[in-house]
Amino acid sequence: MKAEEKYTDVELIAAISAGKDLNDAIRSIYRQHSEAVSSFIIHYGGSEQDADDIFQETVVAFIDIVKKGKYRMEASIRTFLASIARNYWFNELKKRGRSGHRDRQFEMGRDQDEADVSQHMAELERKRQLRELVEQLGESCRKVLLLFYYENLSMKEIVNHLPYENEQVVRNKKYKCLQQLTGLIKANPAIARQMQETLK
Amino acid sequence: MTPEETRILIDRLDESLTGNRNAGLDRLLEENPEASREWHYLNLAIEAVREKGLYEMVSTVKAGWHAEQASTGLRVAAAAKTSKPAGGVIHLLYKKYGLRAAAIVLIITSSAFLYKYLSISSQSLYNRYYSSYDLNTSRGEGDEQPIVKAYDAKDWSAVLSLAAAAKNKDNQGEFLSGMADLESKKYEDAISHFEQIVAVNAHAGTDYYQDEAEYYLAISWLAMGKVNEAMPILEKIRANAHHQYHEKVAKMSFFDLRLAQFKENK
Repeated sequence: MKAEEKYTDVELIAAISAGKDLNDAIRSIYRQHSEAVSSFIIHYGGSEQDADDIFQETVVAFIDIVKKGKYRMEASIRTFLASIARNYWFNELKKRGRSGHRDRQFEMGRDQDEADVSQHMAELERKRQLRELVEQLGESCRKVLLLFYYENLSMKEIVNHLPYENEQVVRNKKYKCLQQLTGLIKANPAIARQMQETLK
Repeated sequence: MTPEETRILIDRLDESLTGNRNAGLDRLLEENPEASREWHYLNLAIEAVREKGLYEMVSTVKAGWHAEQASTGLRVAAAAKTSKPAGGVIHLLYKKYGLRAAAIVLIITSSAFLYKYLSISSQSLYNRYYSSYDLNTSRGEGDEQPIVKAYDAKDWSAVLSLAAAAKNKDNQGEFLSGMADLESKKYEDAISHFEQIVAVNAHAGTDYYQDEAEYYLAISWLAMGKVNEAMPILEKIRANAHHQYHEKVAKMSFFDLRLAQFKENK
């Protein structure tokens, strides 16, 4: 555990890949990189809140990429984070309909040796859409699914966390909630289309 | 796919987390395209849950980090206050008054933060952001349903008994019951009503009273002292410009909410 000191890039990647002390690794990313990356967003017209939100998305994306073993350390972590943040901010500006002038500024602001994260962006957007579908579930469903599939708690442990009578009740609840979430995913046109292409 | 087959797929998926194998099911997945599709959707659902879990984890660490930043400011201010000036006269004066000014600014900022930190709570945020729901009925009084009349008259017990006695349950009755419970400070009951609306809409693919239920569900969680539960809903509303309560939520102080969340998680 490295709560206070700084992680080197290699240590950070090792900690995230192992999934051990992930909280400390995330805190370290914030401590070491949030200011530099956020100032970039603010420089390109974002508010402090925008920078805060974009950096959070960036950290989630970075951890996803590292966990899947797709970060090849061709660029430093800071450069890589900055590239992801840039892409997110660029997409956000497009969504807000402010792309014209900002695009030009954005392009001018790119570093020569910037890491190419474009290959990851479609996948990250898909993950974001999936996450939003989970947010549509009721609180009790979200909790059961998160405890089982994210926290990896057993049914017995979940009974101790939530107001359910026994493990069978939790098992039934989890089944219904997973069905509900699958239904939401099937009803999402963009994800359903991607799925059809995958299964072709 | 029958529900039983889906259940088997889910069981397999859960078992696969612990490494168990089932050759028969492997064959089914290879030979039955529908089963294969369902299997992919279930995997996507689990991927979605894990993505959400990671997002919440980062969100919590971020709130802690913000608080850590602020308390570091507090320590720097205290250190500056006790530091002794040294060096030449001009340098001494510059250092003395420069540090003093910086220390004053830091102490004021830090004191303000400390006051905020101590005074902020889920309940205080609920008090700040709660406002009653106005039905805005435009029809004549004679056309109004009894439950609407009771709600307008703020007769909460009548609202609850009329909704409970209704033959056909609908989202309006459910929502007004939730609001009646919220007004009566029966927060857990209010949460049940609002969650029921969200579940019904998700199941039926409708959105009747969806936005209202989501917003007041978040407010109810705040009233319960559970910012962790309220935050994802409020963040979702803030991210959706088309949400009926988007403007209201966008005006909320997310710094204060995260600070309360940090206190809750301590």
